[in-house]
Amino acid sequence: MFSPSAPDLSQNSGELNASEPSFASDEGTLRKNVVRNNGQSHHASPSKRPKSTILRENSGGLSFINLYYDSADKDDDDEAQLQHESEMNSYKVDQSNSDVEQLLQEGGPMRLSARDGSNSNLDDSGSSDALNTAGLLPTPESESRSSQFLGSASLIEDAASNSVKNSHLDRYGFMKQNQYISEKQFNEWWTNYSKYCIRRKRKWKDLLLKSGLPVDNDSPTRFPSKSEKLKRYVRKGIPAEWRGNAWWYFARGDELLSKNIGVYDKLLTKINNPSFASKDTEIIERDLHRTFPDNVHFQKSKDSDEDPLTIKSLRRILKAFAIYNSKIGYCQSMNFLVGLLLLFMDEERAFWMLVIITSRYLPGVHSINLEGVNINQGVLLLCIKEYLPDFWQRIYSNKTHRDSGKINNKNEFLYKLPPVTLCTASWFMSCFIGVVPVETTLRIWDCLFYEGSHILFKMSLAILELSGNNLPKAHHMSNKNADDEDMELFQAIQTFPKQLINPNDIIDKAIFKRRLKFNALNQDEIERCKKYVISQRAKYKNFQEVMKNDTANSSKRDSVLAQDLINETFSNEGYGFKKGLNGVNWNNNIKERVRRLSRKR
Amino acid sequence: MSSRQGGKLKPLKQKKKQNQDLDPEEEAFKEKQKADAAAKKAMMSNIKSGKPLVGGGKTLRKYKIVFLGEQGVGKTSLITRFMYDTFDDNYQATIGIDFLSKTMYLDDKTIRLQLWDTAGQERFRSLIPSYIRDSHVAIVVYDVTNRKSFEYIDKWIEDVKMERGEENVILVIVGNKSDLLEERQVTTEEGERKSTVLNAKLFIETSTKAGFNVKTLFKKIAKLLPEFQDAQTTPLDNDKNDKKPGIINIAAPDESQQTSGCC
Repeated sequence: MFSPSAPDLSQNSGELNASEPSFASDEGTLRKNVVRNNGQSHHASPSKRPKSTILRENSGGLSFINLYYDSADKDDDDEAQLQHESEMNSYKVDQSNSDVEQLLQEGGPMRLSARDGSNSNLDDSGSSDALNTAGLLPTPESESRSSQFLGSASLIEDAASNSVKNSHLDRYGFMKQNQYISEKQFNEWWTNYSKYCIRRKRKWKDLLLKSGLPVDNDSPTRFPSKSEKLKRYVRKGIPAEWRGNAWWYFARGDELLSKNIGVYDKLLTKINNPSFASKDTEIIERDLHRTFPDNVHFQKSKDSDEDPLTIKSLRRILKAFAIYNSKIGYCQSMNFLVGLLLLFMDEERAFWMLVIITSRYLPGVHSINLEGVNINQGVLLLCIKEYLPDFWQRIYSNKTHRDSGKINNKNEFLYKLPPVTLCTASWFMSCFIGVVPVETTLRIWDCLFYEGSHILFKMSLAILELSGNNLPKAHHMSNKNADDEDMELFQAIQTFPKQLINPNDIIDKAIFKRRLKFNALNQDEIERCKKYVISQRAKYKNFQEVMKNDTANSSKRDSVLAQDLINETFSNEGYGFKKGLNGVNWNNNIKERVRRLSRKR
Repeated sequence: MSSRQGGKLKPLKQKKKQNQDLDPEEEAFKEKQKADAAAKKAMMSNIKSGKPLVGGGKTLRKYKIVFLGEQGVGKTSLITRFMYDTFDDNYQATIGIDFLSKTMYLDDKTIRLQLWDTAGQERFRSLIPSYIRDSHVAIVVYDVTNRKSFEYIDKWIEDVKMERGEENVILVIVGNKSDLLEERQVTTEEGERKSTVLNAKLFIETSTKAGFNVKTLFKKIAKLLPEFQDAQTTPLDNDKNDKKPGIINIAAPDESQQTSGCC
């Protein structure tokens, strides 16, 4: 059993527990959080530490450039900005100081290194020198990595957001510029969005205070119980520094972890065993350096050949998961899921979040036969057919006409997925990582963990609808062109979302507009839809198998008959969506108006 | 195993991080966007004017090329080198399928290549068949520094032949990362031999890092397309070419190109 050495932690955990009595029963967990704090932990004595850093310790996660400021302002008006700008100015001094201070304190990721294996029992009563000589303290590396932050933090000049503005990196360490978005475009967006973030965070603080929940360390670990209001807040974005904790809370991570205390450690001892071998190991190794190569936390430092700590954590989690759930093992895209999680939480939590994602939010999607992907695509197609009929025409019906004029059965698309689904498949596998810009991905994840997996379908519909406006006009020409149209469509659907830099474009305008019909799409509906797709696909599969066995002694006529039979069987069972009630929308409309009126007053 | 996976080589990206590079980068980006927009516009005007994109005459003919092969052998890298003539030590792993298209001018002819980049992990194989089904060319890539990836090409080729039938597809085998001389595990001869056995139309070794043979690869592929089969007039290009459409013999890699080529 792996025992993190207590002496070093006692200071931290004591402090954390004091601020969070509700976690007393989970003391072990909390301690570990500190231990595994993803390489960015601060081992200076607590008294020296600025308040804001404590939170990051608890929330694990790498430190972002914190653009927020503390404000006792209880004003709930979205438009009261002027005042904030001045507050921001006073804030920037504080924050830049504490950021710098915090950065200076980095360089003590020894606990994390200890996880590397043989040294798991290292006692921290030994000085850091001892660790250094043991080669456990990759000081040069961590220094050079933190310098990325130092550089940006020291650039804070006139507004908090400038720290990001003057860097080539965003606040999570990703390159701002990519193939689809220029740095200039990013900065233009960021100027406004950073203000939005500040505004939202103030509101979150107020909400927590009103609910009687502590925020003092800028690291709340408990959040209000679910409500329409909280849902709205989540949809508008969880503050970046709180994300790790909030995701963990909403996905009920503690529930799972408390049932599995020590399990991750056991898995680690297994994979650290030199005789350990798994068929997934090589595949995992091949992907480690192909996970966010444009993010500073995943890059090797110039003067060290050693893997950065984030990569080490990533390796351990993926290997541990492969033996924890051998039905899934390792599947490409999980590297991105874990990679993103590691930016917001510590190693152990990231591991359990992966367990939660692959079992609760995306069941079967990463399994060996990827059947979950196909099922999700089937569900998405049904949703498109129902909610985006124009788009549906373009991806499907022109195909049906093309296929030698034969009328296909209603549900053929559920097992012969149209080409466009290979593009949308990755949307589900990686939960939109790399599909939309990172900030947009994170906003989607906020909703995902709060509301459930149906959010992925809603988002897909929203993206498809938005991209529909950007699609080349349908040209109803000869059959020859149908294939070209498919290609254009594919390219548009692949490219368009990558330019969706402003999350609010998709989230406010597309998803939460009351008039949109797919607002009626809820988790129950998706689950029902999923069951239907599963049964249809299973039927088809059985049928195919029967036919295969028969082919040896069957004539052509038989197979034609069989085809007819398939068509008949399946076409009789179309899927019916529950229709929303108009009255409800109307009421909501009134509610919204009243809200707006009262706001004006 | 390739050091590119282990990343012993300094990533080129380091350069980008320096502040002073901002302007040229921005410019390059804009230029690329412009070019893309222009290409799109040209395509759209074709569509608007009602010109059929596929079919006879002088119109733009499209060819679908699918890239297959194990994870990390350099499929994305090969495409990126061809499309933008750039190289990066670490590309993001491809999830699912990526689609890119590029217009290619050769011998006064213009063709449009549609490139389908696929995920390499075995379990993704079940998602890919429909893409193989109507492709004109299948490029199966392996990593010369990884024997396993070489052994796996049989499986990929089996998939292609099953989906497409041997007659209907141009099979190409590419051994990538030829610049990593010391880590090589598969010799050029072995590659050639396998290509003959598997009945591939073309075998070539490339280095996407050094930019070696990538253009040649696509030129040679183009030459194998029906568009160019009718009238084989001009030679491929200056380097040692072998006009017969069978296996193209690539002699020992060009040393000078390799040492100079690191970008």
